[in-house]
Amino acid sequence: MTKADRATPEVTARSDSVTAALEPRASRSWWRLIALLFGALVFLFPFYYMVIGSLQKTQNTSLSGVLPNPGNMTLHNYGEINVAIGLGKAIINSGIFTGGVLLVTLVFGILAGYALARLSFRGRGLLFALMMLVLTVPFQLLIIPLYVLIARNYGLANSYLGMIAPFAINSTAVLIFRQYFMQLPAELFDAARIDGASELKVLIHIALPLVRPAVLTAMLLTFIGPWNEFLWPFLITKEQGLQPLAVAMANYIDNVAATASNPYGAILAGSCVLAAPAVALIIGFQRYFVSTNIGSGVKG
Amino acid sequence: MTSTAAPRKHQSGGDESAAKESTARRFGRAALGRQPIGMIFGAPYLLFIAVLFAYPLGLAVYMSLHRYYFTAPGVNVPRPWVGLSNYDAVFSDPAVRQAFLNVLIFLVINVPLTVAVSLLLATALNAAIPFRAFFRTSFLAPYVTASVAMIGVFLFILSPTGIASTVLGPLAPVPSWLVNQNWAMPSIALYVTWKGLGFYILLYLAALQGVPKELYEAAAMDGASWWHRLLSVTVPGVRQVTTLVTLLAVITGANLFTEPYLLTDGGGPNGKSASPVLQIYQTGIEQNHPDFASALGIILVIGVLLIAGIQQLVQRRQA
Amino acid sequence: MIKPRTRIAAALVLTLGVAACGGGGGVSARTATDAYGPITIWYSNNATEVAWGEQMVASWNKGHPGQQVSGQQIPAGQSSEEVIGAAITAGTEPCLIYNTSPASVPDFEKQGGLVPLNDFPGGAAYIEARTGPGASVYKSPDGLYYQLPWKSNPVMIFYNKKEFAKAGISTTNPPLSTYSQFLATARKLVSSGAAKYAIYPSPSSEFFEAWYDFYPLYAAETGGKQLVENNKATFDSAAGQAVAGFWRQLYAQNLAGDESYNGDPFADGTAAMAIVGPWAIADYQGVVDWGVAPLPTSQGNTLDTIPTFSDAKNIAMYASCQNRATAWDFLKYSTSVAEDGKLLAMTGQMPMRQGIQQLYASYFKANPAYTEFAAEAAHVIEVPIVPNSVEIWQAFRNAWSDSVIFGQESPDKALGAAASQINQLVTGNGEP
Repeated sequence: MTKADRATPEVTARSDSVTAALEPRASRSWWRLIALLFGALVFLFPFYYMVIGSLQKTQNTSLSGVLPNPGNMTLHNYGEINVAIGLGKAIINSGIFTGGVLLVTLVFGILAGYALARLSFRGRGLLFALMMLVLTVPFQLLIIPLYVLIARNYGLANSYLGMIAPFAINSTAVLIFRQYFMQLPAELFDAARIDGASELKVLIHIALPLVRPAVLTAMLLTFIGPWNEFLWPFLITKEQGLQPLAVAMANYIDNVAATASNPYGAILAGSCVLAAPAVALIIGFQRYFVSTNIGSGVKG
Repeated sequence: MTSTAAPRKHQSGGDESAAKESTARRFGRAALGRQPIGMIFGAPYLLFIAVLFAYPLGLAVYMSLHRYYFTAPGVNVPRPWVGLSNYDAVFSDPAVRQAFLNVLIFLVINVPLTVAVSLLLATALNAAIPFRAFFRTSFLAPYVTASVAMIGVFLFILSPTGIASTVLGPLAPVPSWLVNQNWAMPSIALYVTWKGLGFYILLYLAALQGVPKELYEAAAMDGASWWHRLLSVTVPGVRQVTTLVTLLAVITGANLFTEPYLLTDGGGPNGKSASPVLQIYQTGIEQNHPDFASALGIILVIGVLLIAGIQQLVQRRQA
Repeated sequence: MIKPRTRIAAALVLTLGVAACGGGGGVSARTATDAYGPITIWYSNNATEVAWGEQMVASWNKGHPGQQVSGQQIPAGQSSEEVIGAAITAGTEPCLIYNTSPASVPDFEKQGGLVPLNDFPGGAAYIEARTGPGASVYKSPDGLYYQLPWKSNPVMIFYNKKEFAKAGISTTNPPLSTYSQFLATARKLVSSGAAKYAIYPSPSSEFFEAWYDFYPLYAAETGGKQLVENNKATFDSAAGQAVAGFWRQLYAQNLAGDESYNGDPFADGTAAMAIVGPWAIADYQGVVDWGVAPLPTSQGNTLDTIPTFSDAKNIAMYASCQNRATAWDFLKYSTSVAEDGKLLAMTGQMPMRQGIQQLYASYFKANPAYTEFAAEAAHVIEVPIVPNSVEIWQAFRNAWSDSVIFGQESPDKALGAAASQINQLVTGNGEP
């Protein structure tokens, strides 16, 4: 991790203005803006189309269908998919699944990250190596033995605990916590330890308040995983009443959609509902996704 | 992120406290480390890894070396050791070879596109322009949204009567994108590229902070155009992150599951968009051959680790 | 500050330990066969079957307070085989599943997931009395019944009368009995613009798709041969090649679509014909003006009824069942003459019971559309109940896709290779 990663926003802004001053101001920034606008259009168009499509009464896939047509609008698609899947229950299931993972990662992940960063103990190297291994091995290799383990040996099929278990502590979050705890000056901890404070107190009262932005970033990253996860809950919960929204949506697309009056409309309605919380979160918290936080968290 | 907490009242030297420790305690500390409570802090995480990662990994290796299939609880069947015959079966299965070929096609499209576009967009974003927050949010939106949700839209766009085909008119491929043997995997590649760009843009943005401004100034004074500045200053300057981006893209490509499963209905036209992980799922869960599936999975992991290892070597050479 | 931590950790380990113990052994067969009590069942998610299932469960529950049955639709998945197989592994499957595909029975057997119905007093006799001599094909290689043949859906050719009329083809007696007639009719339909495709079976590569294009025609062509008989593949023969050649023509001349279709192409009017069973009549009523014709054969067939594929779905009892005596009683209740009659009336599918045309004569009088299917029900072939049956069908389908649908290989070679592979698999020695 270079010093530059600790750059504050003020430093960044200063360097930007230096760069900008070097270039023919007018044409440079216009090209930039156009390129960015084009990029934003490409990124946002599917979202826009998703909303438009979900409101269509009859499917309209021509170019004119891209523009909202008041004569062809209805909320019926939302009602239709709600009847088929039960959007409310599915969202609650997603919430419980994601919330459980967030809680466990918050408590145990911070402890582990702190220990890896600031505590010297036997087995620290091993724990770190294991963490890196977890990050490298794809989850899909393990789904089969995990299914046997969790469904049969632990009897946790069709349960929230079974859904949460493999995701309980997000290793990327642990890595981020570790990186940020490592960035704190050592004197802080030496002073506190000399004062006789227990490690837990040091963690909770001194270290944690200082890394709050990192905790928020890590929590946001941890949120994305379970909220959008499809394969594992699909495998472990076959009871419709327990399935999170991503799984219910996938089942709907695969099996039921063909019977709806406007199949794509219903699918898009479900997609809107599934996408809305994630998008709302980044709009609300986007400043915490500042490049420095994530970049250093992953590089180190 | 700045550290602004005021240091606590500083007591003189740590030697006094150390001297006060008994010999036994010091001995214990040396064996368990200076802060043995770290073991307690790390214990839940260690337990988690042991139970939900290490043990399944071991079981996967075990399954790949035996004749193994799932049985009802309490039913015991012989599970003979078969050595590497599962691996043999994996390598000689034409469907598996097709799947790896598909991943190759995916990577050829995804990786260069990802590196180029995210670097360009990050460079563009890395300036004092208005509405930065808006652009950042729009690039991130696809990344944070569930693939299942975005797949719904893309199924709509890429359907035989969808807007992609309507706009292209006679130029549109027949059969349509996702059921077309030549277009199925490229469609998936383009979708995944689009979806992941936001994250890589962030990575490059971080890296761009570390490129010294003086280099740009020097190049500008030498009269280098924007393009030359990009090639001679930016690209070498973010080399480390480019290798990271490449590695992450390769890992993503190797682990594709949701997109082939949902976009092209499990394998696509004539297996042309199947991915290895999809086959792990199909053979392991749908067809009850977890021995074959585990062998395939382990081959996949070894492949990824090899690529990561090569990347480390290359990085070390460059540094 | 260590205490809360250790307490939590200890609790975690304890929970895991207890749960691990809980997942252990299966159900002791001897005690279970005499046990009475509540049970769970699954039925399919076809709307009419759900309706039948619910009324049946309700009427049983009224009369059996201590042996309540709770029913639900089978959970969604890519296929019922996958869902049931995974449930067996986890030990979470119900007592009875009213949607057990005969092709999956060998695999579930291998998993130790099924209860042989011969365990029950008069078990085999009940099955044979109800279904008649046709029941014996449902025995497993060890001679036991692991499934009860429940209902069949003999597939025939449905044709769209409006589109046939538009193409100038007779709607009362369309020329569809020989391959050459069928092809000529198909060409006429497409070239006249009456329909985009003549016929449009699903071209996807799931193992069961062969049951709706190849297998019915193979049954017709061979007069009732199964895919595998006496542990040998039978389709690497003149009859098999004739069927393959016929379908190859349809795909090569673009009379059948080779891309996945989202929805039902016959209901949409995209295809003028479909190979499907009587369950679809409810779906097509009011949507398509349909007629039914027997399957074509290469030379035309002089038999009264041309054999076809049964598309049967059966009932099986699963190993996790605790109260098997109740399950057996419920099984008999749900396949009684009365309930079979209700099944016929509510779903239009043929109960696999002898003499349904006489038993339910009033129904057939009121619904003549189903009479042909009832006649066919006595002339159906079933998938072979052999080890590795799902893989066998998958091997066949892969070869079929490659050669017949996508024309990348000659059907001769592809089917020949598939036959040798299948001969290996059927002995139970095959490699996955």
